[in-house]
Amino acid sequence: MGKIIAVHSYKGGTGKTLLSLNLAATFAKQGKKVCLFDLDFRAPSLLTILKIDKADCWLNDYLNGTCDIHKVLIDLSKRLDGDHNFFVGLANPSTEAIRDMSAKDRKWEMHALGRLLSLRNALLNDDGFDYLVFDTSPGLQYSSINAIVAADFVVVATTGDRSDVDGTRRMLSELYNLFEKKTGLVLNKVLDSASKSNKDELQSKVKTVYKVSMLGFVPCFCDILRAEGNFIFAQDKPDHPFTKILREMTRKIENNEVN
Amino acid sequence: MILVENSYHCFARLNKHSTVICPVYVQNRRGSSVNNEETLGKKPLSVLEKIRENLERLNEKMEVMIELQKHGKQDIQPVSDAPLDVMTLLSMPDHLRKTAMTICRSGRATAEEIAQQTNRARAVESAYLNQLVIMGYLKKERKGRKAYFYADRESQGWK
Repeated sequence: MGKIIAVHSYKGGTGKTLLSLNLAATFAKQGKKVCLFDLDFRAPSLLTILKIDKADCWLNDYLNGTCDIHKVLIDLSKRLDGDHNFFVGLANPSTEAIRDMSAKDRKWEMHALGRLLSLRNALLNDDGFDYLVFDTSPGLQYSSINAIVAADFVVVATTGDRSDVDGTRRMLSELYNLFEKKTGLVLNKVLDSASKSNKDELQSKVKTVYKVSMLGFVPCFCDILRAEGNFIFAQDKPDHPFTKILREMTRKIENNEVN
Repeated sequence: MILVENSYHCFARLNKHSTVICPVYVQNRRGSSVNNEETLGKKPLSVLEKIRENLERLNEKMEVMIELQKHGKQDIQPVSDAPLDVMTLLSMPDHLRKTAMTICRSGRATAEEIAQQTNRARAVESAYLNQLVIMGYLKKERKGRKAYFYADRESQGWK
């Protein structure tokens, strides 16, 4: 049975999309059948990063109940030199669609949750997907919380910024815990983390502050900034330290080494 | 016979708003027969089935009352058709959230099926589910002796 992973954060700019895309790609490179979903309906970005101009059906249409999920999925396996094992579902980037999604009522959101939950049957059970990765909007809003509720595991991206630390801590106790979600924290843009002693110090500090398992920490790589969203590190830079960190994260998720 | 008669009286009294009334009445208190086509002698099994069904419904109502008292509430004002969205789930007390989330995942389920997933007693889940029905978040439908719970018509087909 596969797993649904939601990548979430309290604040924007913490690296959710970078992590979602590269975690999904890392799983796919390991031979897993993966689907990556852009659930950031307020600021869709995966289609730009993956250089896709348009889609026949968007995730918006699936959540609106106007099209089947299989019409939403785009096969990008070739981008990773794979064979029918890497798919994406994209959010509609048009201003009209963004406006439409932000004006949905509670009843619609309830149905949207039901449709996200039903992906487990349609994709994990019936189509044999190993992982569904949800890239979400930051903070506490319907589309992200729907994604969290539907997921088995939440990857929480955070930085050292004080407001981010406080907000993330609140979310851990007042959101993920209430829904009894397994979480793994990724500390991103970490300075001076190269030495072993710093790593251990950081690990114990995170454990004290957040009281959850560390999934990993990502140093502040200039290469990531320089890439300007043009690379999928897991595919294009297999020997980069970031790619190695991603492999370690997927290993922990796969072996349930997080709680 | 007296037991059956008393139970039936008890149900009828507590369920004064219910439209489900067993059409059979066997004996009055003085012991004389009631002139009814469906007497206990003619259809004993169906009569007992109906009584059991009614007692089960009574039991469900009592479970809800017990739960309400446990949590210090006298009554919950019924709301009709309240959406069971994630913000509602977040604001719910922990014990109800667990049940409500399990129903969201299942689409449609009996108290027994929910209890298997939450590892709580069937009677407890039955009480919570009925409480959620009273609050307007869930709907309940009977099929024979089984009571099915669901958030709304559309959500039943999701699983």
